Amino acid sequence: MPIPSRPSTGERRPRAMVIDTAWRGLGPGPQALSGPGGAPLTRTVKLIVLPLIVRPALRPELAADFLDAREAERLEALIRESGAVLEATARWFTLLKKTRRALGIVAGNPQDLYFQRCFELATEHGAPGPGAGAVARVVLEDVVDASGGRTVEALREHLADAARRARLDAELAAAWDGREAVPGSADTGLAAEVLETCGAAGADSPAFAAMVRAGHGGLLGRALWAAHPADVWDRADVPPHLGLTAHRVPPRPEVGRSASTATLPAPFDRTLFERLFTVLQVSTHREQLPTVPELVRREVARSCAPLGLYDESLRVTVVLGGRLAVGLDPLGAGTSVAGSTAAHRIVNSRWQREASVLRARRMTVSPTADPDGGVLNALAQDLRTPWAAYMRRLWVRLHGRDVRDAALPDAASAWGVLDGVARSVMMDHRARVRTALRTLSVAAEPTAEPRSA
Amino acid sequence: MPERRCAVTRAEDRTVRIAGPSAGPPFTLAVLDVAGAVLTWPVLGPTGLPAAEIHDVGQAQQWLWAVYGERAAAAVDAVASGGPAAELTLPEQPTALAEAAARLALGHWAARWWPTSYLDGIPALEPDLLGLELAALIHECQQLLDESGELEGADLLEEHLAALDPLIRWRQSAAPPRQLDRVLRLIDEAADNAGLDGEALRRLRSALEQDHRPTATPLDLAELCVWQQEFALAAGSLRTATDRVIARGSGTNDWCRYPPGFVDAAEDAVSWTAYALGAGRRIEVEVVADVAAPATGVRLAAEVHVDGGPPNRVPLARRDDVWTGLADLDIPASTTPGIEVGILLPGFDPGPGDADDRAAREAVRALARHRLGVAAAPHDGEAAHPEPFLAEVVAAAAVEEDF
Repeated sequence: MPIPSRPSTGERRPRAMVIDTAWRGLGPGPQALSGPGGAPLTRTVKLIVLPLIVRPALRPELAADFLDAREAERLEALIRESGAVLEATARWFTLLKKTRRALGIVAGNPQDLYFQRCFELATEHGAPGPGAGAVARVVLEDVVDASGGRTVEALREHLADAARRARLDAELAAAWDGREAVPGSADTGLAAEVLETCGAAGADSPAFAAMVRAGHGGLLGRALWAAHPADVWDRADVPPHLGLTAHRVPPRPEVGRSASTATLPAPFDRTLFERLFTVLQVSTHREQLPTVPELVRREVARSCAPLGLYDESLRVTVVLGGRLAVGLDPLGAGTSVAGSTAAHRIVNSRWQREASVLRARRMTVSPTADPDGGVLNALAQDLRTPWAAYMRRLWVRLHGRDVRDAALPDAASAWGVLDGVARSVMMDHRARVRTALRTLSVAAEPTAEPRSA
Repeated sequence: MPERRCAVTRAEDRTVRIAGPSAGPPFTLAVLDVAGAVLTWPVLGPTGLPAAEIHDVGQAQQWLWAVYGERAAAAVDAVASGGPAAELTLPEQPTALAEAAARLALGHWAARWWPTSYLDGIPALEPDLLGLELAALIHECQQLLDESGELEGADLLEEHLAALDPLIRWRQSAAPPRQLDRVLRLIDEAADNAGLDGEALRRLRSALEQDHRPTATPLDLAELCVWQQEFALAAGSLRTATDRVIARGSGTNDWCRYPPGFVDAAEDAVSWTAYALGAGRRIEVEVVADVAAPATGVRLAAEVHVDGGPPNRVPLARRDDVWTGLADLDIPASTTPGIEVGILLPGFDPGPGDADDRAAREAVRALARHRLGVAAAPHDGEAAHPEPFLAEVVAAAAVEEDF
């Protein structure tokens, strides 16, 4: 979260503007890292200038969105002094892109993959000299290999062994039998208090820590195992598990041997394979994951833990997400205002903004059910039960954090996840409407002549 | 451009707004999703700086200064941290980034709302040409966009790659339009940045690396244009000879109720005939289809109101270039009914719009005609304002040949 700038903005300049000016002052040297108008590429700022040159962690005064004259000068000097290394970085980047094309590598965004490496190469070797081609090849192979064998393929091989599967199955059975199901209503009361503080700059909620201490997330998970508790979310039309399972009570996870993105069941109904499949599919920073055997070993216990998560702060975030999800109102019906918090207002107003963008982009779905509506009607139906898509997305994200031991330390970081999931659900909806409309009009074009001779 | 004062305010949900929300039917608004905000321009109004709804002020600070100026960026920051609403004077001359953003938003608008009509003589914009130019503009606006905006650019590029070879040939022809070289260079850069590769992109790269030596051969622009198809307005109706017509009229062609490419955008594209068949009453609806409309698999529907009553839905099917459908109506035989007919795609329809939308539709047609007029003018003279999209240049050439 950016540090709020001081009120006297008279003398203060936007940091992005200071960076832009300093960058242009470097001349054409680092052009390969610039956009069409000469400004640095957004990723150049995000992946090189800020973390590797400005380093706000070491210089907190440069972490703000606005800088006073002295701070601006300091930042300009940092960039100016890095001119030579940035030019060398740009030349390494050009070389790496060229080598990548020659090797026929197309996966991944080159900026994401190579920017940091290029800066390291530039710092170490200066500009690419004789023998740079060989270095570039090694770097590219290294990046391709960065997953260190943490791939879906490796998972498939690991679980292909019948004896191993039998052993895992027995372990799952034992872990599942060892659970402690606690009937009774889960306590989600404090969630509204936390959600009320969300979104305000710098605000934090002691209620979040209180929920973690009291284990409210674990309580919800155990209550869901025990029965089908009523009144968890104060809405009669919403199941207590919010669609995280297709069953009344979550079933024991199986080991599994395959998965496909299109047919993944609800999160609690997923096999070990399916749970880890979604983790390994995310391409970034797989080298930070445990190895595949270790992933599998831990997933046995995790899948039998409350809400399928180890970490209590992540489980509490499921409770917060549930409370938020049952108040989502993507169609702007205004019906679910009960228990509305600051978080609800932020997310629902974003849905309204999205709806007006979709109207202006001619990508609507009928707000009322239409039996003739086909696939578009199905999309509209999902908007009438938005909590299901929201919780599915949220669980996957929290599970990904759990696997990486990335707990959520406070309400602000939990809100970052909750808000990000809301945005992803919106983007999913938009993508599905686009696909549906494209499919509808593709039948359109068989009469068109071939495009090019 | 005259200087413009506008307000910076904060809403209850902490959204910060620059200028008020834009009014008007959806087809008169050009919108752009940018990092942390949504920008809106009125398509029919004067071009200039957009209205902004900023939901993530921290993200938006990456570009606010470059579009609205330094003072506006500071005002947004102050209002976001709880300061009072502010009034500010926007820069007189839009920055290069602001201009590129306005053009990108208008291009997105054109891809969805261009009033293509056989009846009105407004040719379609070739979707691949427009798609590639949009991909180029997205790259030009990279400073403004977040990751999803950038991904949209890569998607557009891949989806509309078919137009790349014709564009390369156009560049090599005797009289390419001024902006074509820039568009192609932006596409090359965007593809390079996103790590895209392929045959057509390699041909582009080698064409750009060669010296730009225009050949003498003029290019037949029709090659770039796939929309010119035979148009067959169906003759004759579904009725039989024994019917007696009791009323006829035109319906409302509300563009918001169906996706682009389904129905001719003309005001009179929707017509109906009510007739008597013995003691019964029937209505036949005819809708002129868009030249690119789906031939099979999709059914539009007409919504028929009799004397202000509840809607009767009449499914419409494609017959040549007309969508048609028939339905029995429950009307007392003795009266002359008041009939209103609208058309829609079930599941898509957000509901009927305003009666005033008719004037706005006419204004959009006038805008399209004006832009095509500009696009038809020789492009080697003064800088045309507004500079046409490549798809408009091609469409304008098609008009000259055909109409």
